[in-house]
Amino acid sequence: MVENNSESRDGKVTRRQFALGFIGAAGLAAFGSLLSFLKVLTPAKEGSGYVPTVKSGDKLVYAKGSRQGSLLKASDLQIGDAVLAYPKGKTKNVANIVQLIRLKESEYKPPTRVNETDEGFVAYSAVCTHLGCIVGWKRNNKDPEASIIECPCHNSMYDPALGAKVIGGPAPAPLPQIGVKVSKDGTLVFTSGFSGPIGPKV
Amino acid sequence: MISKWLDERLELQKFKDKFLTKTFPTHPSFLFGEIALFSFITLVITGIFLGFLYEPSIGKVSLFGAMVPAAYASVVRIDLLPMGIIIRRIHHWSAMIMIASIIAHLARVYFTSAYRKPREINWLIGLGLLGITLGAAFTGYLLPYSQFSVTATSIAYYITESVPWIGDWLARLIFAGEFPAHATVPRFFFLHVMLIPVLLLSLIGLHLLILVKQKHTEPGANRNRKEAQAGRRLIGIPVWPEQNYISVSLFLFLMFVVVLMATYIPLNPIELYGPPSPEATVMRPDWYFLPIYGFLKLIPGDLSFTIAGGKISPEAIGGVFFPGFLVMLLAAIPFLDRPKEPQNYIENPLHRPFMTSLGIAGATLLFMTTLSGYIDVFHIAPSAMAIYVIVAIAAAWVISYLLLRIYSRSGKKGEHVKN
Ligand code: HEM
Ligand code: HEM
Ligand code: FES
Repeated sequence: MVENNSESRDGKVTRRQFALGFIGAAGLAAFGSLLSFLKVLTPAKEGSGYVPTVKSGDKLVYAKGSRQGSLLKASDLQIGDAVLAYPKGKTKNVANIVQLIRLKESEYKPPTRVNETDEGFVAYSAVCTHLGCIVGWKRNNKDPEASIIECPCHNSMYDPALGAKVIGGPAPAPLPQIGVKVSKDGTLVFTSGFSGPIGPKV
Repeated sequence: MISKWLDERLELQKFKDKFLTKTFPTHPSFLFGEIALFSFITLVITGIFLGFLYEPSIGKVSLFGAMVPAAYASVVRIDLLPMGIIIRRIHHWSAMIMIASIIAHLARVYFTSAYRKPREINWLIGLGLLGITLGAAFTGYLLPYSQFSVTATSIAYYITESVPWIGDWLARLIFAGEFPAHATVPRFFFLHVMLIPVLLLSLIGLHLLILVKQKHTEPGANRNRKEAQAGRRLIGIPVWPEQNYISVSLFLFLMFVVVLMATYIPLNPIELYGPPSPEATVMRPDWYFLPIYGFLKLIPGDLSFTIAGGKISPEAIGGVFFPGFLVMLLAAIPFLDRPKEPQNYIENPLHRPFMTSLGIAGATLLFMTTLSGYIDVFHIAPSAMAIYVIVAIAAAWVISYLLLRIYSRSGKKGEHVKN
């Protein structure tokens, strides 16, 4: 080779430049084809997350604790109390979990759907709309009526008497409500589906 | 005898002459990098032990009569083995020490300006090491599959999903579907015990290779001594044997501390947290993720907007842009703070008012956002806390800058500063 550098004298492409360009293009193509493997590594969602299966007529059962799975009775809750509950037989799907709360019936104001409360019972999805933790109950012992729903993860606060409106913290939306009523035998029954989509709104 | 046998075949003497006689400058703060390295070695050794016994599956198995995920059951069984719980705690404590020492090492390099030309490459590799190590801690945290780890990981899942434009795809790539998918634990296990350790090992190797090639920076005091002797050799102690005595004793002392802590201080007691269940638990991540966690608490939930079809949500701001911005700023530093000549001496932080006060402001940012993770304990409203955070950072920056200015003005009479 006379010319060591890859520049040609008259602006023509040298063999060397051609070869390098060719190798470069082949390399790019090979790399591009590898990208298609990324598809294999990103499985589609199973559609499992937060699709509630609760139906009107399902009975409420305890979600945790020693009475987990047994039927909830209206007499189990005093004013200012709350428990986590599932529809009976559908306890495997976390989209179904609700925070069942008892306040005085006259406390509930819109945007609470007052026709979906009964004898002071109201139920909201217990999945925080921030990042999906299960919300907790912050009982105010001096004034049980002023108790609130609080998420333990980043302290989002929801007002149970105002349709679980966000009253503090980073949650972007209220918790969806679901209708409940007390049946003749004193157990609690769902009377509707959720008022909106469950879980984080990212 | 053996050494002779080996030497005849591998020419060890040549290697020793070439590498082990290198000089290592002495300064206690130069040991943080080594502590990170030794913690990593401890993690690999204890990790191999755990890897023999851990079962990466969330299929239900029976444990003392209850049906729980196999991963959880296998870790409970590890805890029941003689020494099992100690090994697990050594692993977890070493992870924390590794991260703490990396941060201290980064701070040392930053405050002494050792990142400057020609060491920019090692600074960038270092940032990569920091990120990958945090990735190791994050993937490891899910593995025991307790109530705690699952809650923590599902928060991270939604943060990933909130990344604008590519969030959905990225979340499925990292979590192998929608968390908690069956494939998540096997994927995290592979990342944690295979891909990440291999990446760490090769990057640490590269980091140290470059270090040997470029030689370590020296304390500024050496400059004066060398000028007196008109010599250019590094002043310090030879790697073999002196530096080795220090390193080996450091390693043994570190082991002593870690084993002591693992024996007496419980950490991540998964038996207490139980298997995943719908439970409202107070959820705080390990301390190294607290700044992000605290930041998330401060951002109002309605702060979201859309740019070019990508939704910028509060989670994206707190969980993605905030740490991303910090890392980008760190990455840019050696390219903004450029000396005229390549620099091989460290500087006294007290004589760099601007950079040092910037570093102090950065540290205050991390400290204050960490505190924000505890606003529920202190009963402070997020909006009030946000103001405290901003005020504290500004105050730390301005005050430390002014003090350092006054100090360096008053002390700058001498030609070269002692360190
Ligand atoms: C070759 C290297 C490693 C191997 C083989 C390994 C292996 C394992 C295994 C099998 C577990 C599950 C058992 C358990 O949870 O106790 C685990 C947990 C964990 N790993 Fe690693 N690991 C390695 C490196 C690392 C590194 C570099 C870090 C972080 C800096 C790390 C941090 C963690 C953490 C935080 C846990 C959770 C520990 C706990 O349950 O308390 N690991 N590791
Ligand atoms: C796994 C993590 C890391 C390990 C094991 C490690 C190890 C080391 C060791 C042993 C040294 C020499 C001794 C010393 O100065 O401490 C060193 C030097 C250095 N490291 Fe790291 N390092 C890590 C992460 C980082 C990070 C996060 C940065 C910065 C972003 C960084 C930047 C540097 C630089 C610039 C030097 C040269 C310092 C000088 O010559 O003064 N390293 N590293
Ligand atoms: S997940 Fe409920 S406040 Fe963040």
